[in-house]
Amino acid sequence: MEQDLKMGPHDVGGEDGDPIDTNDSGMTHWEKFSNGLRIAVSASKVVTLDELRCSAESFGDDYFKMPYFERNGLALVHRCLERQLFTDDELKAARESAEIRFNVPVIDLPNPESFTHLHDGEPHHDHENDFQEDEAGEGPPGYYFDMLAVADLLVDRGLITMASVQQKIEQFDNVFPARGIAVVAKAWSDPKFRDFLVRDAKNAIIDMGLQLESFADIICMPQSNDTHHMVVCTLCSCYPRSLLGMPPSWYKSRSYRSRVVHEPRAVLAEFGTIVPDNVEVRVHDSNADMRYLILPQRPKGTDDWSEADLGKLISRDHLVGVRVPEDVI
Amino acid sequence: MSYSHEHEPIPKHAEAERIQVTMRDSRGHCRTPAYIRGKIGVIERYCGNFENPEQIAVAHPAPVVIPLYRCRFLQKDVWPDYCGADSDTLELEVYEHWLEAI
Repeated sequence: MEQDLKMGPHDVGGEDGDPIDTNDSGMTHWEKFSNGLRIAVSASKVVTLDELRCSAESFGDDYFKMPYFERNGLALVHRCLERQLFTDDELKAARESAEIRFNVPVIDLPNPESFTHLHDGEPHHDHENDFQEDEAGEGPPGYYFDMLAVADLLVDRGLITMASVQQKIEQFDNVFPARGIAVVAKAWSDPKFRDFLVRDAKNAIIDMGLQLESFADIICMPQSNDTHHMVVCTLCSCYPRSLLGMPPSWYKSRSYRSRVVHEPRAVLAEFGTIVPDNVEVRVHDSNADMRYLILPQRPKGTDDWSEADLGKLISRDHLVGVRVPEDVI
Repeated sequence: MSYSHEHEPIPKHAEAERIQVTMRDSRGHCRTPAYIRGKIGVIERYCGNFENPEQIAVAHPAPVVIPLYRCRFLQKDVWPDYCGADSDTLELEVYEHWLEAI
């Protein structure tokens, strides 16, 4: 009966899964661009997030065969075509143009005579890959050119700006991940703010001077000696991005999404977090319009610490609830 | 407390009220996971009114606005073979058209 109700490949809550790889593999340049584009498009309401999810969910067995960013990128392509924002032929042409542009080095090399000193007198070999590698030395995956093409087409039509995509990339790298940490450090230092945060997180955070670029509302769940909170999104990867940045790879993994709702204690143990049986584990499936920030307990031994120093004890994993900060003794 | 700016409609369910998630199939995009359908829990809080994501997903020009609730379930009521503590709970958000009072 329950099998019949499964909505599709994405509806994995309660399935058995593999052990969780608790390392975060980070993001390549290509993935950051694809993500920035997706967020810029959904923020501009050209195509809504629910439409993009709907497209990804229609991929059937391919859903989990594709890496996360490719799946989301192709969902964007599909939905833009379906909405007739551009045609197949226009996409193909834009993609070819993006590929050609990519194959040209982005800076003009000086005359080789003038810089032989850089190569111990050897002539410089102009490798095609000089400007085309990510940190791991890998070139871009094929879908990246679709992303460049979609970006060009939507910019041409005045639906988004390239600056908005760049701004999202920059915010995800440098702005969002620091916010949740600052909020928690303030809550640890200021009991009145802590009460405000737990009562009405969205307004408490706005009151701090942070403008959250998100349609969703934030709820803060404080860890206590009685209750251990943790967050998952079984249907996709809902996450308080404007407070924590991008979710780590394990948060988006099939295993985490499947297992947390029915065996949270086993998952926590894989992160090294053992919750005693007399403490309630409360799982939050972040499945709709709310986003969750977990407020860890302030570590013992930090009574006279500044907010800045407290911030150094806080990691993203604490704010999702899979780990707790250690006491300082 | 309402999290959205839409004051209508008035929510049908009150905090702590017992509810059952409707046991039925869905077509297209939907935010009610299969695992929770048919399960019995309580309203944890009313979250405000939001546009129906099932309609947003198909680019409906005027999606209906629906009350959204956070619902709390005992894990042992959701999973017959749950092996954690009896007091462990699971919370998720359910739109009103997926809830029945019991």
